[in-house]
Amino acid sequence: MMHKGRRYLRGLNFLIIAVLLILTLVPVYVIVSNSFRETLAIKRMPPELFFKPTLIHFQRLIQRDNFLKYFLNSIIISVSVTVTTIGLGTLCAYALKLFVSRLGERLSNIMLLGKLVPSITILIPLFLMLNRVRLTGTYFGPILAHSAMGLPFVTWLMASFVRDIPREILESARVEGATRMRTFYKVIFPMLTPAIASAVILVMQFSWNELMFSLQLTNIHTYPLTVGIARYVGAVSVDWGKSSVAATIAMVPIIAIGFFMQKYLVAGMTAGAVKS
Amino acid sequence: MNIRNNFCWSLEKGDLLPVLLMTPAMLLIAGVMVMPLGFGFFLSFFDFSFGGFSILDDFAGLQNYARILGDATARRSILNTLLFSAGAITLEFVIGTIIAVLLFHLSRLAGALIRPLITIPLLISPIVVGLIWRYIYDPQGILYWFLGLFGLSIAHFPGVTAASTALLSTVIAHSWEVVPFVVIVLTAGLVSIPTELYEAAYMDGAGEFNIFWRITFPLLKDVYMVLLLISGVDTIKIFDIIYSLTGGGPNNSTISISMYAFNQAFMQTNMSYAMTLSVFALVVTFAVFGIPFVRRNRVRSHG
Repeated sequence: MMHKGRRYLRGLNFLIIAVLLILTLVPVYVIVSNSFRETLAIKRMPPELFFKPTLIHFQRLIQRDNFLKYFLNSIIISVSVTVTTIGLGTLCAYALKLFVSRLGERLSNIMLLGKLVPSITILIPLFLMLNRVRLTGTYFGPILAHSAMGLPFVTWLMASFVRDIPREILESARVEGATRMRTFYKVIFPMLTPAIASAVILVMQFSWNELMFSLQLTNIHTYPLTVGIARYVGAVSVDWGKSSVAATIAMVPIIAIGFFMQKYLVAGMTAGAVKS
Repeated sequence: MNIRNNFCWSLEKGDLLPVLLMTPAMLLIAGVMVMPLGFGFFLSFFDFSFGGFSILDDFAGLQNYARILGDATARRSILNTLLFSAGAITLEFVIGTIIAVLLFHLSRLAGALIRPLITIPLLISPIVVGLIWRYIYDPQGILYWFLGLFGLSIAHFPGVTAASTALLSTVIAHSWEVVPFVVIVLTAGLVSIPTELYEAAYMDGAGEFNIFWRITFPLLKDVYMVLLLISGVDTIKIFDIIYSLTGGGPNNSTISISMYAFNQAFMQTNMSYAMTLSVFALVVTFAVFGIPFVRRNRVRSHG
């Protein structure tokens, strides 16, 4: 029930929300639509709502600048990172549950300190180390780096979910003669699906969007999209047709995935801040 | 407690399974995080670029650290990073709070429709966000077209082209991406507040602002604390958005610690000095956020 005096507040509320939506969506819309506009049309202000779409920028970026390859590289890297971190992180979280004392909890909190480490502090020595063993320029560099950076948070997240599973459940599985690994696969893992979904979307978007490690640890054959953008369209004068296409290719897939996994994305993000 | 004791699958009783399960994760963290950190810390006491290296000849002691003090660009990058951090956190908190509260007052359906839309920026790579904002800030671009409608021009707000407003412009672009995160987290906090608490206040005719300040904010203090930690840590390592929006310019007015260290390492190949800068960044992060970070999580997991 709204008081009479609050009616104008309600109007103001809607107005601000409308402005917010415009500020959020218009920049994204303009870039995506620019990727289908002729170069001259991009320069025209204000952007026309109706225009004849063209695929010329897509053609150029895919044929001349190899962006399809970068797209595949991004998929290879982010999927590998997701599988690695979720796999190792879940096993680790289960292990932490198996400790009798509070040691497990403490370890998971200590691991979270990894989130505080700036990428650059790891990157410089890691680059020198990988360079020594000639692993720079391969997929290994970014996969290792992203996994290590993501693992502390994933482990902590999974551990906080595993912790909520009553020990009675594990105990009764044991009484029925299940080994601990069997308990893990048959009992724990299925109970963790929502948590895993949250971790998947968070880790995948982190790896898909990461720039600094990939920039230095990959070469022209293994560039992911972010590096492709940095190398080819980040120059002094910007070819907006090309840049818009590159930006579109990089952001639309992950926005789509995030949109469908909205519930888990929100759950994962708030798990770190609000304990329900 | 009885269950705990019967539950004899534990390290304390000489059982190795937990250790075995943790090993892969620990190896990865040790090899890719701890070892590089140690190596980097070690490097920061030497004078090393590429190629040959001898422990005796190239030992530099604290010279690299002293060099930071005398290096105007380094000091500039530290100042920029702190300003960026403070500016971004302030902007995100103010706007994020307003939006979260407003969304909370909407009907459930409207909220459910709008929330997925406003989380879109969160999913976009910072380098793409930088690109989007470069387009917006383009002198012939959409922002100046819009300002032109009100008779304003680039002279009134030079955006990324002038040293005076470039850092602010990057803060705005970064906040555009991060405000949705603040909104999501605050919304989760708002939902957890019992509505009865508000009803009495509304009866008494308290204003929105008063209600927020007297009831909501104190109850959400913990949530704000976590947000402060997360945003603080994220902004101290800021790199991508600056890299793509301004490249650190004009005139180093937006260069951050991470960016300066990156340039020193990979453009000037001053590996040791770059490492020193990044160790400095790490130490600052831990000094400011380390203890509250761990304590906060300990408190939560116990309560």
